[in-house]
Amino acid sequence: MGLVDKWLRKYQDDWCRECKCAMEKLRKELFALPNMTVGHYVEHKDAAYYRKNLRVVGKKADIPPGMYACGAIQYRCPECAKRVTVLDPFLPVRDEEKHEGSVVFRDGELDDFLWQ
Amino acid sequence: MDQKTVKKINITYLLCYIFVPLAVAALSVLIGYLCFKDGGAGAVICFMGGPGVAILWWVFGGSLIYRIAKKNMLKQLGEMGIDCRQIFYSDGCVVSMDIAQGKIGLLFFWNPFQVQVVPAGRVTEARTDDGAGGAGFLRGTSRVSFLFKIDGITIRVNTFISNQRWKMNDEKVLEGISKADLWVQVLDAARQQGAGA
Repeated sequence: MGLVDKWLRKYQDDWCRECKCAMEKLRKELFALPNMTVGHYVEHKDAAYYRKNLRVVGKKADIPPGMYACGAIQYRCPECAKRVTVLDPFLPVRDEEKHEGSVVFRDGELDDFLWQ
Repeated sequence: MDQKTVKKINITYLLCYIFVPLAVAALSVLIGYLCFKDGGAGAVICFMGGPGVAILWWVFGGSLIYRIAKKNMLKQLGEMGIDCRQIFYSDGCVVSMDIAQGKIGLLFFWNPFQVQVVPAGRVTEARTDDGAGGAGFLRGTSRVSFLFKIDGITIRVNTFISNQRWKMNDEKVLEGISKADLWVQVLDAARQQGAGA
């Protein structure tokens, strides 16, 4: 992952590319990724993978050591009303988090699954 | 095998590792001194070859033997009917865990010819050592490991090691802590399984 790509992913996910404005956060949810463990992280960009493997958890403390978590946030552009879902896989380690780079779904691929 | 105490160092192997190359080097130099007093190619070979081989052995020999032993370990555990899908390779030790049977497989760098299998019920303590040190902005670590005791013998398995000090929230350190925490959990689970069996 290049530096520019990393920077864009880290800071520009909540930015509407069409309207060039900041999007507002609509809702967020925390999931566990039980089949992704420390040292074996592989980036996935297909929605089908997340549909199959995400499990809802109440809080970060419910995720056992070594297992990856995934934050999901839905953004809405205040001008064009476009909705974007950002998944942020990370490894929870005690009070810290090791983020792996977010995955953005701009066409509502996961909406029916995440926000059911 | 189950009743034996865990042996982290094979003294014979350790002594041979140190002294056999030393003896070979000394012998080579002695031959060079006695047989090639006038110098020449033979003297160069004797004076450089023996000590060179000894140095190469000390630098690479141990890692080579350990690497071969790691491959053999999987085969041996398979023959014993022990599930070794949960395995952790460290610089000085390999730990394999079969939670269902409550058995731990161990291989040590300084005892590479013996795969030791012990019941997990003999583990008396398992914890993570994040190696944190220093104060303020200097706080960091150069080693993260998990430790467990079998029959009072402490076994340390490094999950992260460096010759520099890294911040506690550095990605490499976090990954090391996570691996160590995971293995402490696995050891505890296997210990309970072993105690119940």
